[in-house]
Amino acid sequence: MSAGVSFQQIDGVLVVAVPPDLTDTIADAVQSDVLRHVEHHGAGGLVLDVGALDTVDSYVARILSQTAQMARLMGIETVVVAIRPEVAATLVRMGYTLPDIRTALDVEEGIAALRRAEATRR
Amino acid sequence: MNEREIDRHMRVLRLDEAELASRRAFFHLGDDDLAKLAALRPHAEKHSDAVVEKFYELLTGHATTRRFLADESTKRRLRETQRLYFLGLFAGRCDLEYVRERVRIGAAHERIGLDPTWYLGAYRRYLSLMRSMLVSELGLEGALAAFDSLEKLVYFDVALACEAFVSAKASTIERHQAAIRELSTPVIRLHDRVLLLPLVGAVDSRRAMQVMDNLLARISEMRAKVVIVDIAGVPVVDTRVADSLIKATAAVRLLGAQTILTGIGAQIARTMVQLGVELSTMHTRSRLADGIELALSLVGMKIVAQSASEEP
Repeated sequence: MSAGVSFQQIDGVLVVAVPPDLTDTIADAVQSDVLRHVEHHGAGGLVLDVGALDTVDSYVARILSQTAQMARLMGIETVVVAIRPEVAATLVRMGYTLPDIRTALDVEEGIAALRRAEATRR
Repeated sequence: MNEREIDRHMRVLRLDEAELASRRAFFHLGDDDLAKLAALRPHAEKHSDAVVEKFYELLTGHATTRRFLADESTKRRLRETQRLYFLGLFAGRCDLEYVRERVRIGAAHERIGLDPTWYLGAYRRYLSLMRSMLVSELGLEGALAAFDSLEKLVYFDVALACEAFVSAKASTIERHQAAIRELSTPVIRLHDRVLLLPLVGAVDSRRAMQVMDNLLARISEMRAKVVIVDIAGVPVVDTRVADSLIKATAAVRLLGAQTILTGIGAQIARTMVQLGVELSTMHTRSRLADGIELALSLVGMKIVAQSASEEP
């Protein structure tokens, strides 16, 4: 199934607004939609905007981590942006510090972080 | 006294019609008692000034209670309040409005810092004044019957005033705790997108949680990129404190900001390593000044010395 996620290209970076009310099934669908989009259209980087989520459970946290790892295998760096303060606090209290995920304050900062990462890789 | 505050106490103490009826039943305070007291009103009016006067002799005769009657205007005002209260006992009613006035008394005592001891001691005196009044007006026999009704209403009143006192005390303590919490986690905007959190005093798990929540909220609100946490003022840094610092740093990172830990003196550095606490993933500095320099460099700024020609 498709999650009907809207994709946006900003400066060659694929920006994905993760929809609210993320069930496990929808989370899975978002992941496959995003990866398929990357495969077909390519991208200079991936920004996952989770600002709409007021809770992130362990499953969604794992999906986010995995998506970043999968995108990396396809040669693309990922930044998760706009994690809400209360979500961050809860995640950390549950022991999920998501060490392998790059984070940024918002989409703009996320794109800037990708630019910097790209510059150091070259 | 703020009406909203009285409303609050009424709510906290659940003083509604049902509660009023239940209390009156327990104090055996019937309509017949109220009617009996209302019939005594002319006697009460005749004696009100004298009773209030004698009552004030007690209050001004003791150092503790005298403090609450410092100036003349307070004394005059209280005298009038006291007279109305006295006559109120003989008004023949005991409804929610009556209850509210009793709650007001207890809350007012809490506000001025007059503890129940003084209130109860004064009330004892008050009762004996009223007993003398009843005896002189009704004779021993009549006074005994009337006093029974009066005593019911008085105990009913005293219970309300004491409960309101306790309720007001609890809300005062709550307010103070909120103020302390606020003071204990000040997040300062040091520069554009750079925050400073100076931690002072012991950090227990509850405070650590507040600090983290407050810090995260401020980061998001101020769009901060770097936050300096200075722990020079924390007397004991053990594994638990270190653990909460690590957690806070991880949460800050999830928001997309970075943490710099400063104020790590020799003692803390030794403790951390001896305890096996892994802080190597964090930016750490001993001096706050170095932390500030690092923070500024992370947002692309730099502190430079003024050249000689620019100096004033």
